[in-house]
Amino acid sequence: MAAEKQLSREDFDRQAQLHGITGEPAYLDELYAQARGVFIMAETIKNIDVSGTEPEMAFIPPAD
Amino acid sequence: MDTLEICYMSAGDLSTLVEKKEVSPVEIIEAHLARIDATEPILNSFITLLADESRVAARQAEKDIQAGRYKGPLHGIPVGLKDLYNTAGVRTTSGSKIFDTFIPAEDCTVAAKFQQAGAILLGKLNMHPFAYGPTGENLDYGHMHNPWNPELVTGGSSGGSGSAAAAGQCTITTGSDTGGSIRIPAALCGIVGLKPTYGLVSRWGLTALSWSLDHPGPMVRTVEDAAITMNVIAGHDPKDVASAKVDIPDYTSALRGDVRGLRIGMPKEYFEAPLDPQVRKAVQDAVSVLESMGAEVKEVSFPMFNESQAISSTVLMSEASAFHRDLIETDGHQIYEPVRQRLQAGLFISATDYLRAQQARTLLDQEGRRLLDDVDLLAGPTDPVTAPEILAPRVLAGEQEIGVVGALTQYTRPYNINGFPAISVPCGFSDAGLPIGLQLAGKPFDELTVLRAAHAYEQATDWHTRRPPL
Repeated sequence: MAAEKQLSREDFDRQAQLHGITGEPAYLDELYAQARGVFIMAETIKNIDVSGTEPEMAFIPPAD
Repeated sequence: MDTLEICYMSAGDLSTLVEKKEVSPVEIIEAHLARIDATEPILNSFITLLADESRVAARQAEKDIQAGRYKGPLHGIPVGLKDLYNTAGVRTTSGSKIFDTFIPAEDCTVAAKFQQAGAILLGKLNMHPFAYGPTGENLDYGHMHNPWNPELVTGGSSGGSGSAAAAGQCTITTGSDTGGSIRIPAALCGIVGLKPTYGLVSRWGLTALSWSLDHPGPMVRTVEDAAITMNVIAGHDPKDVASAKVDIPDYTSALRGDVRGLRIGMPKEYFEAPLDPQVRKAVQDAVSVLESMGAEVKEVSFPMFNESQAISSTVLMSEASAFHRDLIETDGHQIYEPVRQRLQAGLFISATDYLRAQQARTLLDQEGRRLLDDVDLLAGPTDPVTAPEILAPRVLAGEQEIGVVGALTQYTRPYNINGFPAISVPCGFSDAGLPIGLQLAGKPFDELTVLRAAHAYEQATDWHTRRPPL
């Protein structure tokens, strides 16, 4: 439910427009469902306690 | 020698005969081309078949071997590359008609290593478009079909590699594994698929899906062939920024060990997830076999497993959408619709969510390392189900009906997140005659232990000797 609050259809349409995404209504309906899924995943990850943890993407310059 | 026997021989056995000049590369290639002729209308494993080119290469290999210039175990052996491995002068489509006429100027590092080893490139193998899907769908070049039942998926994204190896169309094939794309088709097609440690095999010259999750590796019929292939393709490559500088052992040395005293952990979370009871039993039986051979088996806990889908999807979708962003804008309408939707959905992930997923990735990595302080290997199913029907959106896993994408990647994604080596080895068949895979994962760069256990299990069972009804 939280995800639905975070990505209303209006917000989706606006963001899709900004990304240059176009398509038939049925296609956009399906994409909207997937985009809501993305927000649900984000909620799952927000519930993980990552305090004190760095992302695994440190850039180490090559020694040679 | 019977041509079908040649097609089902391992590289290990074939190379012995080639070195002794008891079978020639020309015979090997002709046998495989005949096998492809007979089975390709059913399987659709290849996007580009190099019949003429492979015949020329086979004649050259034969001359070289006759003249005493034997190059090693892959000399004269047919290899098929997933069609996202760049091959000089041979089109590389990444599974999309958008790149139908793209001809790379250079070989990717892996292709160059195969060539130096004397292997013969038989063709480029079908795949889920842009490697973005675990089933083996492809409308541009036709869906891939499972050799054990052509109405079912091969698994993906390296589906053509799975079907080609399983059906005896090719001795050695390669895949790339971002969320399970080597191990999933290996399990569903009944072959061996090794996802090596991240950075061990060069990604240079492969079309990326997700830079930090992509792993190239072998898909073959025996563990020995996985080891032989790793001896050729593993190693540091300065062209790949993520390539690891580590000593490369002789991977075939793993084949001489046994599993006595080896500590194997079975994460209890694997068996709490949706799981077909026939797969559960096959995997538990397989681990019992290892235990009977002297391995010490115990239950362990891997709580971050339950977060792995969200972490993997967030990282993968963000990186895939970033990599393909220009293509989405210029040629989006030509991309297979489900893949285009995934790519476009990734545009809705914020940078902060991506980074939070990377933080969670650190936790999963730390948890995996702690687990592997207490055990040498983690064991479980490769997939919770056997091969679903082509284009089926959902599948029954035990008592739960779940989405196919989530189901097929359920057990494979954790080892893309932490980069640990993981192998799928055949461990049984369902009542419907469909293959089941056992997944064994080990410590980073400890492929030797993974291969040792997989080989010991393989030699104690006969699953790998079964052939699909083609």
